Amino acid sequence: MMWELFQLIMLYSLIFGSIYLLISLGFSLICGVLRIFHLGYGLHFLLTVYLTWMFMKELQLGLIPSITLMVITQLLIAIAMYLGIFRKFVEEEEKLMTLSLLVFLIFENLFNYLYPITAGVNIPVTIMKGVINIGAATISSQMVVAALVGLATTCLLTIFFLRTRTGLIMRAISQNLVASMLMGVNINIVYCLAIILSVIPTIICMLMISPFWGIEPSMGTPLLSIAIVISILGGLGNLKGSIIASFLIGAVHSLVSFTLNPRFMMLAGLLLAIIILTFKSEGLCGAERLW
Amino acid sequence: MVKLLRHGLKEAITKIQGAILVVIIIAAVVGVITYYTLPPPEVREIKIGFIGNLASPYSLSAKAAAQLAVEEINEAGGILGKRVTLIIEDSKGEKPKLVEVYKKLVMMDRVLAVIVAESVEMGVAAIQTGAELYPEYPHIFICTIGSGDAIWHHVRDNYEKYKFAFQTYYFTSSGYLTVLAKTLLPHIFKGIMNATKVAEIYEDMAWTIPLREGISGVSPPKKQVYEEQGLTVVFQAVVSVDQKMFTTLFEQIAASGAEVIDCAIGYIDEVAFIKQWAESPARNIPLYIWGGIAGMPAAWNATEGKVLGVCVGSSLVRAPITQKTIPFMDNLVQKYGVGPIFGSHTTYDSIYGLKKAIEMAGSASDVEAIISAMEKVREVAVLGTIGWDPRYHYNLPYPHYITPTIQWQKGGEMVVIWPENVAMGKYIPPALLRG
Repeated sequence: MMWELFQLIMLYSLIFGSIYLLISLGFSLICGVLRIFHLGYGLHFLLTVYLTWMFMKELQLGLIPSITLMVITQLLIAIAMYLGIFRKFVEEEEKLMTLSLLVFLIFENLFNYLYPITAGVNIPVTIMKGVINIGAATISSQMVVAALVGLATTCLLTIFFLRTRTGLIMRAISQNLVASMLMGVNINIVYCLAIILSVIPTIICMLMISPFWGIEPSMGTPLLSIAIVISILGGLGNLKGSIIASFLIGAVHSLVSFTLNPRFMMLAGLLLAIIILTFKSEGLCGAERLW
Repeated sequence: MVKLLRHGLKEAITKIQGAILVVIIIAAVVGVITYYTLPPPEVREIKIGFIGNLASPYSLSAKAAAQLAVEEINEAGGILGKRVTLIIEDSKGEKPKLVEVYKKLVMMDRVLAVIVAESVEMGVAAIQTGAELYPEYPHIFICTIGSGDAIWHHVRDNYEKYKFAFQTYYFTSSGYLTVLAKTLLPHIFKGIMNATKVAEIYEDMAWTIPLREGISGVSPPKKQVYEEQGLTVVFQAVVSVDQKMFTTLFEQIAASGAEVIDCAIGYIDEVAFIKQWAESPARNIPLYIWGGIAGMPAAWNATEGKVLGVCVGSSLVRAPITQKTIPFMDNLVQKYGVGPIFGSHTTYDSIYGLKKAIEMAGSASDVEAIISAMEKVREVAVLGTIGWDPRYHYNLPYPHYITPTIQWQKGGEMVVIWPENVAMGKYIPPALLRG
């Protein structure tokens, strides 16, 4: 019995942690490189689902063309937000945060008007149906796939930042912007690239979790909340910290679910975050550097 | 001579003043007596006010139902030969706005009745506003969405002050305990699903508190009610409204040996809940949901068909409870482009109940007589018979008002499995449905 409980807790810690990682990666990236607390980040989760649905329903496109068009549209919106809001108000953080949040809310309300919950929005992106028995647990196959994809995406991003020249440049910018500029780095291009990179994990995330997540116009806010808690706990903008924080929060959620009450999962995660931040105010791995 | 004339004139003026004063006093007395004894002037049209949060699908569907009822009534000649006018106001889901438009409807538009198609919390704000206005502006108030007992508790605790208020919903909280949990669900679980071990799930909302804790003097908690009916509660949990992950819950339910999962939910993320149930170790344990999107046609697409096998109390299925049911559903879609969802049946039936009461009272302006008539109304409705408890003013529950239980079966079909007299098919265990 105890051994079965232990298996369940460990397994779901990994599953939850990997999914939370996918949710928070893009947010950490923007915080780390652009030093922006992007309150409009939840928008990209919404856009992934609702743009795909819209292209399938209104333009009668197939799934793959709809996803392709959605990706292109998302990237264009992300670049437009960078040029129209982030670059313009980078020195005025309050305006930047307010405007990015406003854009998020506008889209949320627009989708609520066009496709309320009673519209039955769904995107058929299940990769593996059914369940898998792993030890004492019986887990949705799609959930396992989502967790593995989350880990793979994290690995790829980590390799990118540690092993590529562009990744190195981004890390340099996150450590010292002025020095990077003096070294001849074109900040605007790198920032644009960072914005594009930050959107990709959110797209992958929604495509992976849609088969078991509730799709509704207000779903961006809870996803943003998860991203914020993990990023702050890990160290604002620190990818390494986000990785550790994701699995820590996943473990707490799993432990509380099985030993206390699933209802207290979120509260337990928040309490853990505040306790750690009380002793380590910069987060687990320190803020204001990407790695 | 002049002095005599002046004196005479003064006397005459004093007498005239006195006569005028007497006439004024008599007129005032007659006016007061007339005001309180003569019947109020007959109205030329009957105005009904409707308040809802017009950004929410529930209120929108209820609004369409109200418009349909009024349109049909006018086409049939109105009420007592008078045309009915519906005045619609938007509360935007905010209590201050609701109070504002309620007052406008009663004081300025002089409506006979106000229908509030919002949650019970908003209904409480409305009833308190209505109570302030009632002495000077007699009117009727009907709350048509929300199962909480708060509305009729006001009437119970102070009839004289709140007698103008009525509550219409599929079940009130006490009705859930004394009718649904005591009779209907044990019959469905034991008699239809062949299940005696129950896993109870509650959402953390005010309406489930009476189910979890019981109602003093009315009923013990639902768990005890079930056990008195021969069911065994093997697992119990409360889920948060903002919860998104339920897989660990289903692991525990599967381990508990439950034979049915009884979910008193309606506001949680049901789509995520159902999707995760369908691919969990509890996927072959029948899921019974009390309300929410699981009972709406949109649930099939929203869950990508994973709602297959789920049973839910739903009035949104084309089951001919009475001869009014199907025409109501069809007309709502055809004329107003909205499907019937929670609150639409109760709004439609309430207006027809009000119509019947006005006809029984023989007057569209004598509110006291109309209230008295509403306490006696028994009128054919979309979901059975509409009528209100004469003392507490909640609508009469089952067997008068019926919410069918449906099961989602292959192809996204919502098949009525209860009540037996309108059943469209038989219950099929989820494992068999999935093949």
